[in-house]
Amino acid sequence: MEVTSLKSYEDQVWELIGLMPGTEGLRMRALKAANEYDWPGKQDEKWRYSDIRALKNNMFEQTRPAIDAPNVPAPLSAENSARLVFINGRYSEDLSDMGDLWQAAQVRPLANHLMSNMDRADELVRGKDATACLNTALMRDGMVLSVPAGVEIDDPVEILHITINGENAGCHMRHVIELGEGASITVIERFIGDRGSYWTNSVLQARVSESAKFSHIRLQEEGADALHTAKVFANVDADANYTATNINLGGALSRLEVNVRLMTDGASATVDGVALAATEQSHDTYTQVEHLMPATTSDQLFRTIADSRGKTSFQGKVVVAKDAQKVEANQSFKALTFDKTAEANAKPELEILADDVKCSHGATVGQLDEKAIFYLTSRGIDPATARQMLVEAFTADALKAVGFEDVKQEILTRISDWMAARANKVSTEE
Amino acid sequence: MLKINDLHISVDGTEIIKGLDLEVKAGEVHAVMGLNGAGKSTLANTIAGRDDYEVTKGSVSYFGKDLLELDPHERVGEGIFLGFQYPVEIPGVSNLNFMRTAINSVRKYNGEEAMSAAEFMKLVRSKAAALKMDPEMLKRFVNVGFSGGEKKRNEMVQMALLDPKLAILDETDSGLDIDALKIVAEGINAQRRDDTAILLITHYQRLLDYVQPDVVHVMIDGKIVKSGGKNLALELEEKGYAAVA
Repeated sequence: MEVTSLKSYEDQVWELIGLMPGTEGLRMRALKAANEYDWPGKQDEKWRYSDIRALKNNMFEQTRPAIDAPNVPAPLSAENSARLVFINGRYSEDLSDMGDLWQAAQVRPLANHLMSNMDRADELVRGKDATACLNTALMRDGMVLSVPAGVEIDDPVEILHITINGENAGCHMRHVIELGEGASITVIERFIGDRGSYWTNSVLQARVSESAKFSHIRLQEEGADALHTAKVFANVDADANYTATNINLGGALSRLEVNVRLMTDGASATVDGVALAATEQSHDTYTQVEHLMPATTSDQLFRTIADSRGKTSFQGKVVVAKDAQKVEANQSFKALTFDKTAEANAKPELEILADDVKCSHGATVGQLDEKAIFYLTSRGIDPATARQMLVEAFTADALKAVGFEDVKQEILTRISDWMAARANKVSTEE
Repeated sequence: MLKINDLHISVDGTEIIKGLDLEVKAGEVHAVMGLNGAGKSTLANTIAGRDDYEVTKGSVSYFGKDLLELDPHERVGEGIFLGFQYPVEIPGVSNLNFMRTAINSVRKYNGEEAMSAAEFMKLVRSKAAALKMDPEMLKRFVNVGFSGGEKKRNEMVQMALLDPKLAILDETDSGLDIDALKIVAEGINAQRRDDTAILLITHYQRLLDYVQPDVVHVMIDGKIVKSGGKNLALELEEKGYAAVA
């Protein structure tokens, strides 16, 4: 099959320029850049673990409005301060609930932001590869959420993305989160969809000002045939913190890239994640944490599980800039594989240009401990429950940053359900 | 209660148990003694259902049921308990959650209602106190960071909670100092009733000073070569296995 030229997305770009006049320069430059980068190939280290032929060989149309009424699930947290719902990449006022958020923070649709603040368009991340540039060229909706200095929003804001009737359509979401000095917020991004072969290509960029705190929970549970590529860019100022928990469960293929820049002394980041790959599924996470200034710290902890012919991958790059002394960076990746056909890839990469730093990394790939399973079953616990207990224990470390107990329970329930579905499948096959 | 006939067990193609007969009745305490490598642990693990042991010949019946047909967790449901020689550490799973899941799994197997959290806490606290276990250890991860003696004590708490009909204790005495040994022995004696049976697997006579067996078996090279009363254990200690067998 022939690779689709990125230039062939130009018609879609013009359609969007028509909708949002004034965005021509930004979009056309991004498309040109996408074309120059071209699709990541096998030689591209950052993409080596994801087979993206399904992306390259197809032409994804812009998503159209949904035909069917979407099934909107209950919010993850009962304590939501607001919920923003996007159906097929379009903000739905009817399904969203702004709560009191509009009083505490500025919330604007991306289109308004682009058209009213063209001077700020340059602050939009354009990306360093084809998918991110294509997002900039084709973004149509998203939220620009600005939390003013000193405002602490305790309860989470959920951004729910639903894609239905989106066969062969691509949805390029862009969210911008800005936290003023000392501000704080938790954003839960959630992605769900139907069985269509759609493509979600999302970018979230965040600016975390001095002493602010941005907690970001990403729950990716796309439809089983979906492709999900996503990038997160977070710039973190002095004494500010970015904390992310990335859960990858859905889609046929997912690739998440988290780029964190610790810009000033005392900036810190925690980037954790769990990925569960069922048969024929692939989840790939690439992180890059740049310690640009002294006394910045980062912790990364990922736990993944791959079932038969499933695949999980993790590449974690930590960069410590010249003279960025007293930096501390820890990285831990552990994967479980359920049999010999399951695949787990791990590649830590350290680029350290300062000499007084503490950096650690560890990566292990193993199986569920048969001795532990026997021990649990020898106390009357059935094997499926025993495996579930061990898997929960295995993933628990990677969920410790989730600050809301009900959200954590929801995530744990999904992990249990995944294990239960697997146990059912195995018992039918036997 | 337990009847083993002409049992042969292989591990990775090597025969370890080579024609073993054993009968244990309710109300009895049996001790199986033997040197390392005699096959004692293989016997214990096979009764509990560990699947890397292959029974090539013979039968194990328990209350008339074919035990070998049951999965390990079903055997526990039927009232069998194996005290491990080396209890397994399980990071991330709390001892309390483990024990509560275990007790409710057994109740579910027997068609009983799950125990409430409050009821369970009361029970586990009383069992831990009887075995002089620090209640803090219940909150810790299963066996993680426990000393050898604490692990064995933890096994005894689990046994007391599950209240088995047949307890098989594999080298429960190994690695214990004398105080811990006495506490563990008390735990075993508390489980000794007319309707229960206990199979002690050991290679020292020491434990048998505190838990007096009704029958002592000498196991050598995969077979029981001699059985007798509790004096047999003393004889073994004095003269050695070679002389007695």
